Amino acid sequence: MHAASDGLAPLLKALDLRGYPSGTRPPNFSGDTVDAHQVSLAALRGKVVLVNFWASWCVDCRPEMPALERLHREAGGHGLAVIGINARENAQTVRRYARELDLTFPLVLDPNGAINTLYGVVGVPTTFLIDRDGRAVSLAVGPRDWESRAARALIESLLGDPALRSRTP
Amino acid sequence: MARKADYKRFEALGIQNLAVSANLTFSQQTFAESLKLPFPLLSDFPDRKVIRAYGVLNDKTMIANRSFFLIDPQGIIRKKWLIENGPTTVVYSDALLRDIEAILGKR
Repeated sequence: MHAASDGLAPLLKALDLRGYPSGTRPPNFSGDTVDAHQVSLAALRGKVVLVNFWASWCVDCRPEMPALERLHREAGGHGLAVIGINARENAQTVRRYARELDLTFPLVLDPNGAINTLYGVVGVPTTFLIDRDGRAVSLAVGPRDWESRAARALIESLLGDPALRSRTP
Repeated sequence: MARKADYKRFEALGIQNLAVSANLTFSQQTFAESLKLPFPLLSDFPDRKVIRAYGVLNDKTMIANRSFFLIDPQGIIRKKWLIENGPTTVVYSDALLRDIEAILGKR
């Protein structure tokens, strides 16, 4: 397992995340954000990528959003890319949600669900962590506390940078 | 989901459930974890050899038409169920189990 070999297993366990066999590579995706920028996983190689599948009607997604936004603001400059992939809603709905929660990380539209299907997502929230080499690290089905000590330690470890240490609660 | 809920009933009859689709293993892993499936998912991507061999490839969508095959211990297909309107049809396990029990002589 990738996680075990990197010593991440205790952190994955603490967050109840499923690890992937070493070398597992998530498929590339590309899509347009709500503000018309194109995002692709391939173009993010070299960064740690947190991909969060969500929807505006999803009660469990909402509390994750401010935490993801803070991670984006604090660690975005240290090599973390936080990407939200919406589930089959229109741009207006996504834009309103982003404004309401003051979200600035990229929110990719997936109107026909192609990216959701590509990743096998059948419920939201579902979150993937991908390392700097483009390997899948973990899968979370359901909500997690992305600002917890374990989550920050995990992301920091993948970044190889104590970007979040000073802010760890 | 019906096969998950009724998994033990299939198991009690000595049936090993295998689910084949034209999805990537990566997406199948997410799917299996999300639904906590107790049986294996097999990826027939990209070649779709198994799906073609069983004659259930939808040439337009390049995914499998929803179908079930019962294979006996000798490797002989004993029955097949081809589901019309597959994406929107709920296939209750009872319908399959009734046939399987009859074939196995347990009914």
